[in-house]
Amino acid sequence: MKEFKLENRTKIETGFTVPDGYFESFSEKMKDKFIEPETKVISLSSSKKKIYIMVAAAILVLALMIPVLSPSTNKTATELDSTTLENYLSYQSNVNQYDLINALDSDDINAINSNVALEDETIEDILANNASLEHLIIE
Amino acid sequence: MLEEEMFIKQLLDIKTQNTAFQKLLSTYQKPLYSHIRNIVLNHDDADDVLQNTFVKIFQNLKNFKGESKLFSWMYRIATNEAISFLNQKAKKSGISSEALQNKMIDNLEADSYFDGNEMQLSLQKAIAALPEKQQLVFKMKYFQELKYEEISDILGTSVGALKASYHHAVKKIENLLTSN
Repeated sequence: MKEFKLENRTKIETGFTVPDGYFESFSEKMKDKFIEPETKVISLSSSKKKIYIMVAAAILVLALMIPVLSPSTNKTATELDSTTLENYLSYQSNVNQYDLINALDSDDINAINSNVALEDETIEDILANNASLEHLIIE
Repeated sequence: MLEEEMFIKQLLDIKTQNTAFQKLLSTYQKPLYSHIRNIVLNHDDADDVLQNTFVKIFQNLKNFKGESKLFSWMYRIATNEAISFLNQKAKKSGISSEALQNKMIDNLEADSYFDGNEMQLSLQKAIAALPEKQQLVFKMKYFQELKYEEISDILGTSVGALKASYHHAVKKIENLLTSN
């Protein structure tokens, strides 16, 4: 049997081949994958714009949610304290004493009387100092 | 090394990236393909692995420390990618790496991108019978004609150990081909 010696022979090649134009198309494929064309650069900046818009929208949504999420703010939104209400009725709204009187019926007035227990002296003092209230009593 | 540093800077700089990347591809795609093809044997698999290799190269370029040559670093990535690919393929098929190797050799005869003669096919079969490390060393030394120093840099094995591996590989291949 003849001994096989690799070094005594011409080099044996692998025998592997590649499709025609493989390396050219591979280069193109990889360039498309890694190198951003001009248009893509523009799309990058527009994607930045998108990010800015999304961030702004997120901040707006969070800002709008603050009254809902914050318990203390929520309380002021639903339960106005009496001072604020009085100030609003006195200085900001068009509601006057006459409107209030017309809006209340006798049951409401009785309810107010039972809730607000005024001393006779207090009523006398108020009437003495506010002559303009006399016509309300007459009415 | 300075030239390589410049080249890597060009690859990372968006202004010079295009030209540098084309140069990288034109210089290394053929040798890296040959290296990968020698490991995975099939063209389609080699194409997949080569793409993954360039993706890894590009992704990790900024972390390249220059401790070894760019060439060695890329070969190392290609080697790891090819071996991982085969391991995953064997796992997916539910067979051992050795069984996969035999299957690949059987498929080689019907491969339209293998036009080897009987001797070339016998050599591939003999190589497939070697342990993995010896296969790798033999292919890099015999087919690709890399220097021991280069193989040492790529595989992280001493030149002495590589010489011993290659010597054992040649002896086993010669014995197998003599008996055939």
